[in-house]
Amino acid sequence: MVETKPMNLIRHIARRFSLRQIVFLLILTFFLTSILFPFYWMVSSSFKTQAEIGGRQPVYVPSALHLDAYRELFDPSHPSFQNFTVSIINSLMVSLPTALIAVILSVLGAYAIARLKFKGKNLFLNGVLMVYLLPGVLLIIPLFSMLANIGDRMGFNVQDNLGVLVITYLAQTLPVAMYMLTNYFRTIPDEIEQAALIDGCSRLGVIWRVTLPLAIPALVSVFIYTFMIAWNEFLYALIFLNSRELFTMPIKINTIFNDPSPRPHVVMAASTIMTIPVVVLFLALERFLEEGLTAGAVKG
Amino acid sequence: MNQPRFLSRWNALQAREARLAWLLLFPTALIVFGLILFPAVFSIWISFHDVGLRNLNDVFHAPSVGWENYIRAIQDFAFKYQGPRNLGAAVTSIIYSFSATALTVLVGLGAALLLNRPFTGRGITRAIFLFPYVAPIVSVAFVWRWLLDPRPSGVVNDLLMRAGVIDMPLGYLSTRGLALLLVIIFEAWRYFPFAMLMILARLQAIDNTLYEAAEVDGANTWQKFLSITLPELRYVLGAIFLLRLMWTFNKFDDIFLLTGGGFGTKVLPVLTYEFSFQLFDFGRGAATAMMLLVILCVFMLIYVRVVMRNVDEQ
Repeated sequence: MVETKPMNLIRHIARRFSLRQIVFLLILTFFLTSILFPFYWMVSSSFKTQAEIGGRQPVYVPSALHLDAYRELFDPSHPSFQNFTVSIINSLMVSLPTALIAVILSVLGAYAIARLKFKGKNLFLNGVLMVYLLPGVLLIIPLFSMLANIGDRMGFNVQDNLGVLVITYLAQTLPVAMYMLTNYFRTIPDEIEQAALIDGCSRLGVIWRVTLPLAIPALVSVFIYTFMIAWNEFLYALIFLNSRELFTMPIKINTIFNDPSPRPHVVMAASTIMTIPVVVLFLALERFLEEGLTAGAVKG
Repeated sequence: MNQPRFLSRWNALQAREARLAWLLLFPTALIVFGLILFPAVFSIWISFHDVGLRNLNDVFHAPSVGWENYIRAIQDFAFKYQGPRNLGAAVTSIIYSFSATALTVLVGLGAALLLNRPFTGRGITRAIFLFPYVAPIVSVAFVWRWLLDPRPSGVVNDLLMRAGVIDMPLGYLSTRGLALLLVIIFEAWRYFPFAMLMILARLQAIDNTLYEAAEVDGANTWQKFLSITLPELRYVLGAIFLLRLMWTFNKFDDIFLLTGGGFGTKVLPVLTYEFSFQLFDFGRGAATAMMLLVILCVFMLIYVRVVMRNVDEQ
């Protein structure tokens, strides 16, 4: 009696524990499959042939790493050559300046809010954050007609102008970039800057020599976030770009998808090219970036 | 004798600091207010005027039409409720954003609880869980569309037919009801990582002695979850729900790319786009967007009234 009781208990615990583990593993597997399968499908489909794509049954594993889809994207001798290189360059030409300018401007703004004393500071910060909640579809109509007007007067075209796109992306990303950096600057002890000021450094000198080097992790994550937002953006690019030569990747992929002759493997190849850099960048810098994610950096 | 002079110098310093602050803020302020705040106000103006492609360049002389844009938007068959088979964009929007948000928060809560305790491979699992949120919307939407392909070669059709659940292939995104359900599931799939990260951060901050005390009192896991974890998460769950609700309500890309707004999934942002950039009736588009904004403000008010007050009472 005395011996069986703890034995029963141990068996009982062991059974319950393993059941719990089984449930845990089942749920984990469910999560991992439903997340990873679409990505597997995207990458594997990009290596399929037209025959494997158009068959009566789905092909779960491509028979070999066929490059047909990629050839259509990059090989000028292909009959339905898509010239995807141009789209990649366009995307970079929009995303890199957006990220760079957003970092520079938000450093200045965030420093002012975190360190300097002036009236209307909280009003400004809250106003910027509220503005961030305004829907993109609400803004696109007035922006379109406003920029068309200004463009007419100043002699530039609103449509098919990558510069216009950069400016609208800046408006979308600056509020959150500033919010993230302000929070970060507040964690840097004020005493370090005071010491530099007393030593005769100017304010801008302090920002350049003291604050910025200390804030590199935050600068990196702001840069990546603004880059990602511009890289992924769809609605504004859809409306502002008409000419094929200026399409960014999302618009180009949308165009290939809506082509009368469906070629999913090409769409998947283009999507793979667009997705891999973002996911790899994110994995490499995950530790920096998670904090920014919870600050709502990626809107939507 | 020195004191007044010292004070005036101090004031001058402060004034200089404020001037520098505004100088530093100026570029950001110019872009944010010029390209967001002014357009937002301008959009109110447009919603009361007849603006189309022909007078887009001369928009300030557009004829004023009073409430006509609003009336035409509300009376449009795509907007108004016409019975359970045709919900109209306004009702669809509300159903879609509430259920998608609730599902997102629930899945996020589940994922956070799953990752809360250490196990081998937690780091990489956590990173993988963020994939849907980080990947470009265009890629994931098109992958989903293709997985749900109506032909028998679609993956979901193939799997369900093999499992004997369905006999004939289904057009998932072209069936009323089913399409809306799938769009909601897609939202949860894509945005649960955001909820997960916020909940996880809060979970890690809960004082462990609370659980130890409950264990001494003989509480089981479920009781501990109900009486410690949930109350501790209350505030963060409310905040996530509000943020996601507002973002989902505003969201254009996801539905546009998945269904193009067809088959009972037309929401207000998509309708706004169609009025403005397919019919080129910018006035009516702006009127629809303004109604979107009004509903958004109602959500915010409810939140401030209900959630914030409860938090204060705690």
